[in-house]
Amino acid sequence: MTVTVEWYIALSVILFTIGAVGVLVRRNAIIIFMCIEMMLNSANLLFVAFARQLGDIDGQVLVFFVIVVAAAEVAVGLALIVTIFRTKRSINIDEINLMKG
Amino acid sequence: MEQFFDIAPLILIFPIIGVLFNGLVGRRFVDYDRKTGEKWSGWFATFMALSSFVVVVLLNLALQASHHHAETVLLWDWIVIPSMELSIPWAMQIDTLSVTMMLVITGVGSIIHIYSIGYMHGDPNFSRYFTYLNLFLFFMLILVSGNNYLVLFVGWEGVGLCSFLLIGFWHDRLGKDGVMKNANAARKAMIANRVGDAAMILGIILTFWVFGSITFDEVFHKAIEFVAHHEEVVTLVGTDIQIALSTALTAITVLFLIAATGKSAQLVLHVWLPDAMAGPTPASSLIHAATMVTSGIYLIVRSNVLYELSRFLSHGSFSSSDLVALVGAATALYAGLIAFTQNDIKKVLAYSTVSQLGFMIAAAGMGAYIAAMFHLITHAFFKALLFMGAGSVIHGMEHGHHEIAHGHDGHDDHHEDDGFDPQDMRFMGGLRHKMPTTFWTYLVGTLALAGIAPFAGFWSKDEILAHAFATDNVEISSVMTIVFFMLAAAAFCTAFYMGRQLSMVFLRKPRHAAAEHAHESPKLMTIPLVVLAVLATVGVFINLPEVDHTEMVPGATLVLEHWLHESLGVFHLESELEPILGEDIHIPHTPTSIDFRVAGMSLLLAVGGMLLAVFVVYRKSPGDASDKDPTQKIPLLWSVFGRLPVDSFYSKLIIPGFNRFAWWLSQKFEWKFWHDFIHENIIRDTFVWFAGLIDMLDKQGVDGLVNGLGSATKWLADGIRVTQTGYARTYALSVFLGAVALLIYFLWPYIMQ
Repeated sequence: MTVTVEWYIALSVILFTIGAVGVLVRRNAIIIFMCIEMMLNSANLLFVAFARQLGDIDGQVLVFFVIVVAAAEVAVGLALIVTIFRTKRSINIDEINLMKG
Repeated sequence: MEQFFDIAPLILIFPIIGVLFNGLVGRRFVDYDRKTGEKWSGWFATFMALSSFVVVVLLNLALQASHHHAETVLLWDWIVIPSMELSIPWAMQIDTLSVTMMLVITGVGSIIHIYSIGYMHGDPNFSRYFTYLNLFLFFMLILVSGNNYLVLFVGWEGVGLCSFLLIGFWHDRLGKDGVMKNANAARKAMIANRVGDAAMILGIILTFWVFGSITFDEVFHKAIEFVAHHEEVVTLVGTDIQIALSTALTAITVLFLIAATGKSAQLVLHVWLPDAMAGPTPASSLIHAATMVTSGIYLIVRSNVLYELSRFLSHGSFSSSDLVALVGAATALYAGLIAFTQNDIKKVLAYSTVSQLGFMIAAAGMGAYIAAMFHLITHAFFKALLFMGAGSVIHGMEHGHHEIAHGHDGHDDHHEDDGFDPQDMRFMGGLRHKMPTTFWTYLVGTLALAGIAPFAGFWSKDEILAHAFATDNVEISSVMTIVFFMLAAAAFCTAFYMGRQLSMVFLRKPRHAAAEHAHESPKLMTIPLVVLAVLATVGVFINLPEVDHTEMVPGATLVLEHWLHESLGVFHLESELEPILGEDIHIPHTPTSIDFRVAGMSLLLAVGGMLLAVFVVYRKSPGDASDKDPTQKIPLLWSVFGRLPVDSFYSKLIIPGFNRFAWWLSQKFEWKFWHDFIHENIIRDTFVWFAGLIDMLDKQGVDGLVNGLGSATKWLADGIRVTQTGYARTYALSVFLGAVALLIYFLWPYIMQ
C-alpha cells in the first residue's frame, strides 16, 4: 500500500478538525493554545505533502515561515496566559469575558 | 456803507450767544452770588440785544446808502430737492420792511431787557428768563429776516415756543381755586396757535404748488406774471391738477389770514392772548404786545402782492383782502368792548392789544400796508410802555401789600384775606402821587393809545381811518365803509377803556391799603419807561402826513412811506401791469395828505371817550373795591361781552365735545376696539394659535425625529450587542464560520459541477 497524497490530506484534515473543535470546545487556555498549534501543523503537513507531490520547494519554504511565526506566537501567547493567570488566578477562558457587550 | 450787508448774520449770532451764556452758565453765576450774578446774567443778555440793535442800525445805514435797494444775504442752501426743482436757501432778506421790523424788535427788545433786570430782581429763575428772552429775539429776527416762507415759518414756530415758555414761566404758581392757571394759559396759547400754524403750513405748501417756489421775490414775480399773461388757470407743480388762479390766490391768502389770526390774536383765535398775561409783565410787553403778535401783520404786509392781486382778480366782488379787513375791524371793536369789562390791569391792556392788532390787520386788508406798519411801530412803543407801566404798578402794589403785611405787628400771620390781587384795578387808585414817573409815562402811553394828538397813536390810527374813508378806495370795495365805522367805534372804545383804566389806577383815592403804601419802582424800571414815553411822542415823525400835498415838516414827512416804497410790491403793481393789460388797475391808495374831517372826527371820538370816562362815568365810582362798575348798567355789555363769548363758546361747546370725542377715542376706539378687539382678539389670539401650532410641530415633529433616531439606534444596538458574548470561542467560531463561508463562496462553482 503506497502512501499517496490523499492520505496526507486526510490526516491533515483530521488534525485540523481536531484542532478547530478543540479551540471551540475546550476551556483551558493552554489546551486551546495547543489546538491552535495543531491546526498550524496540519497546514504545515499539507504544504510539505503538496511540495513533494508537485516537486516544488516553495511549500517547504513556507513551512519554515509558519514555524517561525508559530514560535513567536507561542512566546507572546504564553506570556499573555501567565499574565492572565497572575491577575485572575485562573486560565479558564469562560471567566475571561470582559469583552461582553 | 454797503459792506455792512455782510455782517447781517450777526443779528442772529448775538442773541444765540446770549442764549448759550444764560442757558449754560447764567444760573451758576446767579446761584453763586445773587447780586453780581444777576448783573452779569441780565446785562450780558441786554448787551447781546443792544449789539443786535447796533448791527440793525448799520444795516439801516447800508440800505440808505444803497437807495433802499434790497440785499439778500445767503447763509447756506437749506433744502435742495433737484427732482422737484425745489431749492430753499437759508437767506436773509435785508430790505426796508425787514429792517423796520428788526429795528422795532431789537430796539424795543433792548429797552425791555433793561427793564426786566429791575423787574425780575430776586426771581429764583432769573437767568432762565433771560435765556428765553434772548431766544425769543433770535427767532423773531429769523422770522422777519427770512427771504422765503419756510424760514419765516421757522421763526414763526420759534417765537411761538418762546411765547409758550414765557407765559408758563411761573408754571408752578396756582390760581385762587388751585388750578395751574399759568401752565394752562401757556397750553392755551400753544393750542390756539396750532390752528393758525396748521393753516400757515398749508398756505406754504399751496404757494409752492402754485408758484413752484416759496421765496418771496420769486412767488410775487410769478404771481404778477400769471396775471399779466392772463393765465387764469394754473397747473400745480408736479401734478396734472389745474385750478383757477383766483381760487388759488384766495386760498393762499385766506390760509395766511388764518395763520395771522392765530399769531396776531384775531377773531376767533384771539382767546389765548388775554390769558397770556400770566407771564412776567416785561415778557407780555415784548412778546404779547410789541413784537411777536405783530408777526401776523408782517406776514400779510410781506405778502401784499398776493393780497392785492387777489383783490384785483375778484373784480370788485368780495375778496380775501376784504375778509382780512373785516376780521381786523370786527376784532378791533369786539376786543375794545370786552376791555370795558376787565378789572385786571394787564387784561385790559391785553384786550387793547387785540383791538389794536385788529386795526393793523384791517389796515393791511384794506391795502393800507404803510399805515399798518406805521401803527405797528407806534403801537410797539406805546403798548410796550403801557405794559411796562402796568408792570411797575403791579410791582409797587406788591411792595405796598408786603409792607402792610409786615407793618402791623411784624408777623406774617396777620393776613387779612380780602381777596387782594396786585393786578386788580379795583384795589388801586390814587397811585399818581405814589408813583409819579410811572403815572406821567403811563399818561403819555394812554394818550398815544387813545389816539389823542399829538402823540404817535393819533397819527397812525388816523392814517388807517383816512384810508378807509378815502372815496376812491370806497369805490373799490364797499366793505371799506363798514370797516370805517367799526374802526371809528373801536377808536371810541379805546379812548373810553383807557380813560377808565387811568381813572381807576392813578386818579381818585386809594381803595386798598396796599395802594396807599405803594412805592415808585427802581430807576432800572422807570428809565426805560421814560425812553419809551419819548418814543411814543416823537413816533409821529416816522410817517407824518402832508397838509394839502405840502410837507408839514420839511424832510420829516412821509418818511416811512418813502422808506418802504421799494420793499412793497404793491406800489409797483400799477406800473407793471397797466401797460401789459391795457386796463386801469384799482389799487387802494392811502391819502398822503391829512383829511381834517377824519382827523377831527377821530380826535373828537378819542377826547370825548377819554373825558367821558375820566370825568363823568368814573368821576366818583368805584368808591370802594367792592363797588359795582358803573358800566354794568349798560344793557348787554357785561352780560354778553363781560362773559367772553368766544372763550365760553370754546369751553362750553368745543372743549366738552372734544373731550367727549377724546374719551370716546380712548375708551371705545383705543381700548375697546384697538386694544381688546384688534390686539387681544385678533392679533394675540392668532399669534397664540400659531405659536401652539409651532409648539406642536417642534415637540412632535422635530423632537420626534431626533428622539426616534436615538431610540432606533438604541434598539438596533440592543439587538446587536447580544452577539458580543465576550467568550473567545464565540469569536473563534465566527472566524471559522467566516472561513467556511468564504470557502463555500469560492468553491461554489466546483461544488455545483
